[in-house]
Amino acid sequence: MPLELPRVEWATILPETILVVGAMLILLGGALLRRRLPAWVWTVASIIIAAGAMVSAWDLWRRVSHNHQGGAHTAIANAVVVDGFSVYFALLTCGAVILAALMADSYLRRERLNAPEFHVLMLLSASGALLMAAANDLIVIFLGLEVLSIALYVLAGFAQRRAVSREAAMKYFVLGAFSSAIFLYGVALAYGATGSTNLGEIAAFLRASVSTHAVLLGAFAFLIVGLGFKIAAVPFHMWTPDVYQGSPTPVTGFMAAVAKAAGFAALLRIFFSTFGTHRLDWQPLIWALAVLSILVGSVLAVVQTDVKRMLAYSSISHAGYILIGLQAATVRGLAGSLFYLLAYTFMVLGSFGIVTLVARDGDARTGLDAYRGLGQRRPGLALVFTVLLLAQAGVPLTSGFLAKFYVISAAVEAHSYALAIIAMLAAVIAAFFYLRVIVVMYMAGDEADTADADPIRVPFGAGLSLAVSVVATVIIGTILAGPAFDFARHASILRL
Amino acid sequence: MAQYLPLLAMLILATVFAGGSFLASGLLAPKRPTLAKAAPYECGIVPDREPAERFPVRFYLVAMIFIIFDIEIIFLYPWAVIFRQLKGFGIFEMVLFTVAVFVSLVYLLANGALDWGPAKRLMATPTVDPAGARDPRRTSSSTVRRIGPTGKEAA
Amino acid sequence: MNAFDHWALSGAVFIPILGAVLLAFVPKRLEVEIKAVALLTTVVTAGVGVYLLAHFDYDKTHQLQYAVDRSWIDVISSRYHIGLDGISLPMLALSMFISVLCIVYSWDHFPEPHNPKAFLILLLVLETGMNGTFVAQDLILFFVFFELVLLPMYFMIGVWGGPNRQYASIKFFLVTLFGSALMILSFLALYFKVTLPDGSHTFDIVKLASVHGAGIAHGAQLLIFGGLFIGFAIKVPMFPFHTWLPDAHTEAPTVGSVILAAILLKLGTYGFIRIAIPILPEAAKSWAPWIGVLAVIGIIYGALGCLAQRDMKRLIAFSSIAHMGFVMLGISTLTTYGINAAIFGMVAHGLITGMLFFLAGSIQERFHTRELDRLGGLLLQAPRMGWILGFCAMASLGLPGLAGFWGEFPAILSTYSPAVGLNLALFRTFMVIASIGTVLAAGYLLWMLQRVAFGTVKAEFEHEHIHDMHGPEYLAWTPILVLIVLLGVVPGIVFRVTDKPVQKVTVAHVEQRRSVVTGQTAVGQP
Repeated sequence: MPLELPRVEWATILPETILVVGAMLILLGGALLRRRLPAWVWTVASIIIAAGAMVSAWDLWRRVSHNHQGGAHTAIANAVVVDGFSVYFALLTCGAVILAALMADSYLRRERLNAPEFHVLMLLSASGALLMAAANDLIVIFLGLEVLSIALYVLAGFAQRRAVSREAAMKYFVLGAFSSAIFLYGVALAYGATGSTNLGEIAAFLRASVSTHAVLLGAFAFLIVGLGFKIAAVPFHMWTPDVYQGSPTPVTGFMAAVAKAAGFAALLRIFFSTFGTHRLDWQPLIWALAVLSILVGSVLAVVQTDVKRMLAYSSISHAGYILIGLQAATVRGLAGSLFYLLAYTFMVLGSFGIVTLVARDGDARTGLDAYRGLGQRRPGLALVFTVLLLAQAGVPLTSGFLAKFYVISAAVEAHSYALAIIAMLAAVIAAFFYLRVIVVMYMAGDEADTADADPIRVPFGAGLSLAVSVVATVIIGTILAGPAFDFARHASILRL
Repeated sequence: MAQYLPLLAMLILATVFAGGSFLASGLLAPKRPTLAKAAPYECGIVPDREPAERFPVRFYLVAMIFIIFDIEIIFLYPWAVIFRQLKGFGIFEMVLFTVAVFVSLVYLLANGALDWGPAKRLMATPTVDPAGARDPRRTSSSTVRRIGPTGKEAA
Repeated sequence: MNAFDHWALSGAVFIPILGAVLLAFVPKRLEVEIKAVALLTTVVTAGVGVYLLAHFDYDKTHQLQYAVDRSWIDVISSRYHIGLDGISLPMLALSMFISVLCIVYSWDHFPEPHNPKAFLILLLVLETGMNGTFVAQDLILFFVFFELVLLPMYFMIGVWGGPNRQYASIKFFLVTLFGSALMILSFLALYFKVTLPDGSHTFDIVKLASVHGAGIAHGAQLLIFGGLFIGFAIKVPMFPFHTWLPDAHTEAPTVGSVILAAILLKLGTYGFIRIAIPILPEAAKSWAPWIGVLAVIGIIYGALGCLAQRDMKRLIAFSSIAHMGFVMLGISTLTTYGINAAIFGMVAHGLITGMLFFLAGSIQERFHTRELDRLGGLLLQAPRMGWILGFCAMASLGLPGLAGFWGEFPAILSTYSPAVGLNLALFRTFMVIASIGTVLAAGYLLWMLQRVAFGTVKAEFEHEHIHDMHGPEYLAWTPILVLIVLLGVVPGIVFRVTDKPVQKVTVAHVEQRRSVVTGQTAVGQP
């Protein structure tokens, strides 16, 4: 029996390849030359690799966007799809890697952790995220999910000497493995219901069949639950606060940005594009997830006294907002979710960057008290944090406002008025806890005890990362709003 | 759903068999425990202490490394059966896979994962060092008292 | 239209924020330079404003002048559309004018914790937000400026405010944000629900207003108007959404209070006139009685609230609620007459109450208290300030010949004949109640004047030297006082500008009136 061998178009998975090969090179280099090279070398290497992946993704983007329909195509036995959507996530993820690497540079030295391994894990994790966004097959999505998650489990426990970090890794691992299994079960049910794991074939099958089989409903439910864990949507969010709080802070930022983006990439591709014909069956589920995430995330964030934990809850509510775009299941909704993810990536990386710097030695000072009087001691840092928090609250002239505006306009367009109203009112609740941090920074007295003993330092790399985040947040919200929207909209050309 | 019926039947049969076995042995087997029967079997030698519960963590490390190579072998077998049909593609894919495993082996070796023998630091990183614990005034000359052959402190 | 005309309005909006950016680069210790740059910025902005006033075509006040309409965020069809008409003009002028005076006033007494650099940056950002709101002709642009105002004011109250500043600032921010959240939803609903004749959707206020909400079911119109109503009513603030105002005013630094009273409250009423009423005239008609009810409740409640206050600033804050009640009452009649009165009332209240807050700030600075029980005999210790307080109290209670009169009296009068279709008896009842409100206003203002200015000096301040007015105060206050008199004597300068555009706002109701009239004649003919 002759075997049918797939043709491997390497160009289509060049970004992933660059990340993986780069990660291996760093691993080798780190093993052999660790003692001879200074730590910043690994940061630079990591950034170069991510930038290389970005350039190759950009090249794909040009090819995809040049001829609208013909540009997007599947490759490698239909297992991988190259379209604006996948390239968008590739660019986003690589950008997040660069920012996180810059932030981690000084952090790793401060906490005396192994630099090469950190960067290797981050690059591998990113390659998994890219694969998830580019996958055209449920099995490939699962592979991407595992590559992403396993690297993150290790990263969460990277500060092995701190018990909370170990605890975070353990929790994340157990619950993550659990959710992966559920996802896989969903894949199995989808296969049972449609006869294929290939998204294109599933979509074709569903177009032909009108009725909804109970097994297919089961597949919807399991896939939503499995991915719901990854994006930290309520009620699958239980792990989020503990893991976000316990992980090394740059890892938290990376995790919040990349893992969530990848989860959404899979969710959008599977549900919006593949199961789009059966949207009436899954929309109510997403509706409930969105409402619960927004409300629970916002309300529980209000009672937190630890900034890192508060940001974890706020990231849960952000997931809810991004789900609004999916719930609308329109082109506007999809573009809205994509734009939200773009804005969110910068906001969340920047915010956790600040937390990294303020926490100082041992990642210890993440409580609200550590921010007391920051406006007097480090006005620049306080200003950056203020802008990022206001952006998260959705104040105009920041990317956060346009992001919220866009998804909510999608909800209004889709006549989901109740969802739109709940989301806007929850935004007011959310504004409260962001404001509380700002109040502490500017309006409460100075942090008297440790103000001088252990000053907050802003190393170059971290400063650069923060500057990029905050500038992007403001620019996307004002001058570059148009191009950024176009970027997100072109990314939504889904080929199926 | 009808095609899943055999699966269901299988599931039920498996449950019944497993449960039945336990139940049957619990009900039917004679139970006359003696001290000798309850003792762990150690080739006829009477154990004089409880078996060790904790292994050095290194055992686990070796076990995991073993599993990685085990999996590589498992991959290689089916590949070897049809590698002629796979042609260049098969060779290439397997080379990729082997390189990946090789790189991790190099990493492990470089970090001393397979260094046996008396305690050698796995990683060249400092151990727990809470801020302030390492006082610069604490040196071997300041903390160790040197005493001469007479047992008195050297002047 | 020459090139400068094209840029002038954008300049009026963005020069302040450019000044703020410039200020950010001036080192903190160069205080005089910082103040100079800030003052210069506002003066230049006001200069542009003078140019705008001078070259404004006063025969076509109903048309947008200096209009700029460029694409901004295409994807959400939001455009950078600004323009100036007779409704915007007085508000824009007021905003620029007050901004200059605020910087002059605060020249050498910045509130604690000093830091003039940050304070002035916020003030300039605030001015951009205010100016922008008054000229924006696109709902999204309007919303962005509307929200932009919120932040500097939040920081002003929160950092430079009184002892309870954290509570007041967060309350101010959250309550307003709550309104904004509903407002933006209404904007979105308008976008998706209103279809222009050419089949497109838009956020453009002018285009939306030209179709009068055609194509939206009445029920949906009511809901959309409800969202707008809550958004604007919180800003005004109308009873029962007013609770943030006394706290914010009490805690805010003097300049913050002045801007809050003079400009920020007007954003709400301006929103009603610019957006809510012209775009959804039908819904406005259904809502009008309710707005009227809340307005008269506000008038009475505000006045009674004033009589119960022991803190001078809090008293003025409650008087704001009452005065804005008159403005909303004028608006609720949906007549050209009433809305003209409302706009005049906005300007007058901006000047008079702004001035009262200046005075309250100066008094607090001298006596370190605003408690009415501890104050007294201001006329003895600082006669000029005392007389100005008396003058402002008179203006505020609506003495004919001063600006306050022309806001209050026509507003009451307009309720005698509200727009066709509104319940005549109900509105005439409003008229009666509002008239009682004016009596109460006289009551609390004179009571305040009596306790602060008249009588003898309280023992604790007897031997203290109280400095009468000083330089910056003369400079900052004289123009306001002059304007109060000027507008009181020649109110036509405002009415002339606002009349035509207001007719455009109420045109939907006039058309209805015509159709009703022709309908009657049609019935009568056979």
